Amino acid sequence: MVNAFHPETLSKALEILAENPCTIMAGGTDLMAQKARGFAIRPVFEHPLLFINHIDELKQISLEDNEIHIGACATLSELLESQLIADTFKDVIRQMASPPIRNLATIGGNICNASPAADTLPYLYALDAQVEIQSQTGLRTLPIREFIKAPKTNGLQNNELLTHIVLPNKEFDINFYRKLGQRRGMSLTKASFHGLANVTNGSVTDLCLALGSVAPTIVRCELTEQLLIGQSFINIEEILPTVLNKYSEIIKPIDDARSTAKYRKEVSIRLIKNFLLGLGK
Amino acid sequence: MKENISQSIPRSDAKAKLRGETKYIADIPFDKLLYAKTLRSTKAKAKIRSILLPKIPDGYFVIDQHDVPGKNRMRTVVSDHPIFAQDDVQYIGQPILLVVGEDRETVYNILAQIQVEYEEERPLLTLEEAENSSAVFTDYHYDKGNPCAAFQNAKTLIEDEFATGYQEHVYLEPNGMAAEFKGDTLFVYGSMQCPFYAKGALLETMDLADDKVRVIQTTTGGAFGGKEEFPSLIACQVAVASLKTQKPVMMIYDRMEDILCSTKRHPSKIRYKAALDENQQIVALDIDVLFNAGAYNGLSPVVLQRGIFSVTNVYHIPHLRVHGRNFMTNSVPSGAYRGFGAPQTIFGTEMMLYNIAVKLGIEPLDYKARHLLKRNDPTCTGGRIHDEVKMFEILEKITQMSGYYEKIKHSPKYHGIGASLFLHGCGFTGKGETVINGAIQLTKKNQEVTLKVSSVEMGQGAETVLRKIVAYTLEIQMEQIIFEKTDTGLVPDSGPTVASRTTMIVGGLLQQAALEMKERWHEAESFEVTRRYNHPDFLHWDDQKFHGDAYPVYSWGANVAEIEIDPVTYELTIKNLYGVYDVGVPIDLRSLEGQMQGGIAQGIGWATIEVMETSQGRLIQTNLTNYKIPTAMDVPEMEIEFISNPYEFGPFGAKCAGELPFVGAPPAVAAAVSHALKKPINHLPIRPEKLMEIDNEN
Ligand SMILES: Cc1cc2nc3c(=O)[nH]c(=O)nc-3n(C[C@H](O)[C@H](O)[C@H](O)COP(=O)(O)OP(=O)(O)OC[C@H]3O[C@@H](n4cnc5c(N)ncnc54)[C@H](O)[C@@H]3O)c2cc1C
Repeated sequence: MVNAFHPETLSKALEILAENPCTIMAGGTDLMAQKARGFAIRPVFEHPLLFINHIDELKQISLEDNEIHIGACATLSELLESQLIADTFKDVIRQMASPPIRNLATIGGNICNASPAADTLPYLYALDAQVEIQSQTGLRTLPIREFIKAPKTNGLQNNELLTHIVLPNKEFDINFYRKLGQRRGMSLTKASFHGLANVTNGSVTDLCLALGSVAPTIVRCELTEQLLIGQSFINIEEILPTVLNKYSEIIKPIDDARSTAKYRKEVSIRLIKNFLLGLGK
Repeated sequence: MKENISQSIPRSDAKAKLRGETKYIADIPFDKLLYAKTLRSTKAKAKIRSILLPKIPDGYFVIDQHDVPGKNRMRTVVSDHPIFAQDDVQYIGQPILLVVGEDRETVYNILAQIQVEYEEERPLLTLEEAENSSAVFTDYHYDKGNPCAAFQNAKTLIEDEFATGYQEHVYLEPNGMAAEFKGDTLFVYGSMQCPFYAKGALLETMDLADDKVRVIQTTTGGAFGGKEEFPSLIACQVAVASLKTQKPVMMIYDRMEDILCSTKRHPSKIRYKAALDENQQIVALDIDVLFNAGAYNGLSPVVLQRGIFSVTNVYHIPHLRVHGRNFMTNSVPSGAYRGFGAPQTIFGTEMMLYNIAVKLGIEPLDYKARHLLKRNDPTCTGGRIHDEVKMFEILEKITQMSGYYEKIKHSPKYHGIGASLFLHGCGFTGKGETVINGAIQLTKKNQEVTLKVSSVEMGQGAETVLRKIVAYTLEIQMEQIIFEKTDTGLVPDSGPTVASRTTMIVGGLLQQAALEMKERWHEAESFEVTRRYNHPDFLHWDDQKFHGDAYPVYSWGANVAEIEIDPVTYELTIKNLYGVYDVGVPIDLRSLEGQMQGGIAQGIGWATIEVMETSQGRLIQTNLTNYKIPTAMDVPEMEIEFISNPYEFGPFGAKCAGELPFVGAPPAVAAAVSHALKKPINHLPIRPEKLMEIDNEN
């Protein structure tokens, strides 16, 4: 027997969570795959299931104070349909999974699952997204990079839900995203790179670089970004070796079924280099 | 009805499949059905010390070696795979026993509690280790001409080496079988290519008389060779379980289990020594073919045979020394897979010629064309090319279609174009067709004709094509031809559905029978016509010396691939793929185009993205999350044409077609990549990881 809760409202969901430890089920596309036991055999869950993906309050996408608020249970397909979501982000989402999976998979699930290969994360890191966390006792907000602790580990307490993701409402002059998979469609990421920049008069005025699937968590280095911001394209060429060395130190990939550590590292460095040298073009 | 046989007609199985109405083995209800699940070895090589069972509840059973009434070995070419492990295990995934019962979850839970105590032994893990330890299952040699003298007189000697990896079939429907006794007769149902192979295996393992076993093929959701010999093993296991429990027993694999323990394409290593004369022509080859057969030899000897008999591909090489070996490693057994050993050796030979041409500064396709076989030339095994060879026509067509000669001269860096030439021997190798001596039957009843063969529909369109051959010969409507259920109790043994033999060999027999039936049509309301296969008598084969006509006839083809490599990430994009094929006369153009496209897609997969590796005898890629086959997004634009070259003994002039397209795509892609990077490509799969390494070398 599987025990399950199907609350109609967020406050009801939080009340249930306050009383019982639950396994939270949004779209289930990660959870059901992780719990698969074999053909025609039911998965086993330690805790009762708490279904949340139908809760209206968790599905809203809105613009408030020049910030985009995304409900944790908005599906990837709903994000693609929303006028509020930047094309830059849609580019990322369109390369995730397949239409049927995107119809189920939620952005909250992608974040909470905390996989190094979660494809929404590099963009969310690049934009310094904040996540809103609620329990019956209140609401707290964390920057995404503090929310993701380690592979498969997020910063939620037992009685908490991720409710919203908050993004600054901005687009960049230059947007370059590259997802590398074993094939072109329906493929988990073996390495990804997201570069965003603003440029004026031959120099960089804003820049963020994020890399996925090449370290235990998303790689982003503000210190190195600061080094690059304000520089002319010519200067960037000069400091490039220092920049690449820095990234070389913090990119710590592994060998696995999808790719090799060696490739992941080199391709990441090449993508950064390619992006930085391309800024002036 | 007298129409052009090549003109396409609707597939008879398409509608139900598209509507999701077709029933597969897992959908078929049985009364009081028990489910089975397999306990598998977790060690690459070990003695089984003991097996500790939990308390088994009423109505649940454990089935193992002691329950096998007959031989505890699966009958095939070499009957060495135990139905259930005896005292030892030789690979991770080897079946040890079954747990059987009514509720799947309970079965699963019992299985999880069983403890096997192993005494581990040192396994042979790789082809290299196996070669160093001389762990040889099969060792074949053959010579042609005078290789010794040719090598002594050579102007230039060139050596090269190639390697290819595993490939999983990824049929849509995983393996599944069910067995039940009705009285003292055993009925086995399931997804398979070769009902009479399964029957043969059941007779030995169940120790039953011929008329006490019936095998019924259920709708088979793809096979590609993966359901040639392997289903016999599951058939025997569920049959033993059904005997012990006296209930119907079904076993359905999930994808992970299927990948873990079903057969794969043989990983290979192929070494060449080439002797060139003063005109830079290859006059002799010394070839060493190594296949990784896995833990049991099974079907591997015949796979190796096709591999070494295809090794000179479409080329006339006067002097040859060929050595082929199957090696034993403690890994999942390799088996039949579309192309059957030929894709490995043809890849090696195509790239060997390509590399030599590049070294000599000769345009590769021109260099290959200088060596082409012509009619009446001797084959590698000293047989003859009996029929007209239209390779020059094929070449002209493909180079025009693809703009090959323009593009090879003017490709920007990281863009490449490459060509492959190839053949496939039609039907069984050597004496195969004579030994099988396939039989078919047509039964007329009033205005309907029932077509009886053991050749199965498995998604390739056999049912439609065979009915079409009979209908068009009899000049009656398709609807008047009934395809008999593939049940060994109802149909004669027309042989297994393998070796691209169904249309040419079985279809040929059907056409002969239909011709006779047409002549006698008004003789009676109902009568039957039976035919057995006879090899054309000008063909000779010596199975001891490997001398003569290894195949009655060949199908031919050429591919051109255009590719682009991302200079930053080394991702490979195959932009266009052109194919021109001589398959005799196409029986149904759309169906055939489907075969060509599918074969190309599968070939591209093996050549580029299908990575399957092992670590300590354990497969690393065990599910479709990390073992990727091409999707529509990975498959290039394909332009496909056929040239007509009717074969006297094929129905309406048809030859073989099913495996041919697989063989051609990998070397075309590899040649294009080599052209783009100006580096030899001697290994498959060609992953970005590897390309980056290769391009970094200087
Ligand atoms: C075939 C396939 C392809 C895929 N391809 C991709 C891909 O290309 N890129 C990619 O990044 N991912 C991919 N995924 C993974 C998955 O689809 C995504 O990570 C998806 O966004 C997860 O969302 P979900 O709603 O299904 O999560 P669920 O499975 O419901 O949940 C995932 C985890 O998060 C927890 N959780 C979910 N929502 C909340 C919440 N609001 N508060 C607290 N905890 C919560 C759950 O308890 C669970 O631990 C793929 C999955 C499949 C099956």
